[in-house]
Amino acid sequence: MEAVGAEALVPAGEPDRLVTGCFAADLMSDVLAFAQPGCLLITGLAKDQAVRSAAIKNLAAVLVVGGKEVDHEMIEAAQEEGVPLYRTGLSKYEACGVLMQAGYPPCGAPALRGQEAARGC
Amino acid sequence: MGDKPLAHLEYPVLGRAYFLGGRASTSLRRALLQAGVEEDVLQRVCVACYEAEMNVVLHARTGYMSVDVWPDRVEVCVTDHGPGIEDVELAMQPGYSTASEEARSLGFGAGMGLPNIRQHADELAIESKVGEGVRLVMTFWRGGRRDGSEQ
Repeated sequence: MEAVGAEALVPAGEPDRLVTGCFAADLMSDVLAFAQPGCLLITGLAKDQAVRSAAIKNLAAVLVVGGKEVDHEMIEAAQEEGVPLYRTGLSKYEACGVLMQAGYPPCGAPALRGQEAARGC
Repeated sequence: MGDKPLAHLEYPVLGRAYFLGGRASTSLRRALLQAGVEEDVLQRVCVACYEAEMNVVLHARTGYMSVDVWPDRVEVCVTDHGPGIEDVELAMQPGYSTASEEARSLGFGAGMGLPNIRQHADELAIESKVGEGVRLVMTFWRGGRRDGSEQ
């Protein structure tokens, strides 16, 4: 999270969950269909539905991009669901680029990436 | 196999309660985990239930989610009182949506709800009466997905 200068709105518990990769989407149906357990969700959706989608898919954490205002309801949902919640001022494209360069593999939509890549996460 | 399910779970779902949207499904996730349902199965159940729950929140006045855990399967029934679906076949097409701007602002409403449900459930039946509501019945087989030909 330091790589994207993120602030922790709801910090990870102990022990910290291992982030196996990243998946970016604003459409929750895509998160539900394609995100893989253990990945970080990068999203512009600053609503509690992003946190609940992450909980359903057993994702490691949620990163809200674009410095969007995160309301109390989203923070409450993150605490309730036990999903760490971060926010960065970087745009989604920038955050994705930085995290990719930091070595986090894409994690999701295996149908779009082919079988070989799917095995990677 | 007995006549009674291993676990029976019920969740009310309120239409237009946007903040609560998804909360029944995450509660269900915890309950299924506790009931010993396998991770891959409960994930499919909860993805389908989340989409179904959001359909109720976004379109209906009120709804109900009822879940039975059996040794070999999980059965889910989501019933709502609302406008119903005029053309179920059309609604099943990826990308078809009658959702409002509000739905989109919650990260839904892109016409992927029912297609996602169909993809994650092993069996799906939709009954709808316009002006009355929708009833979704879903079956998820435990211990590997099956097609209709297997017993």
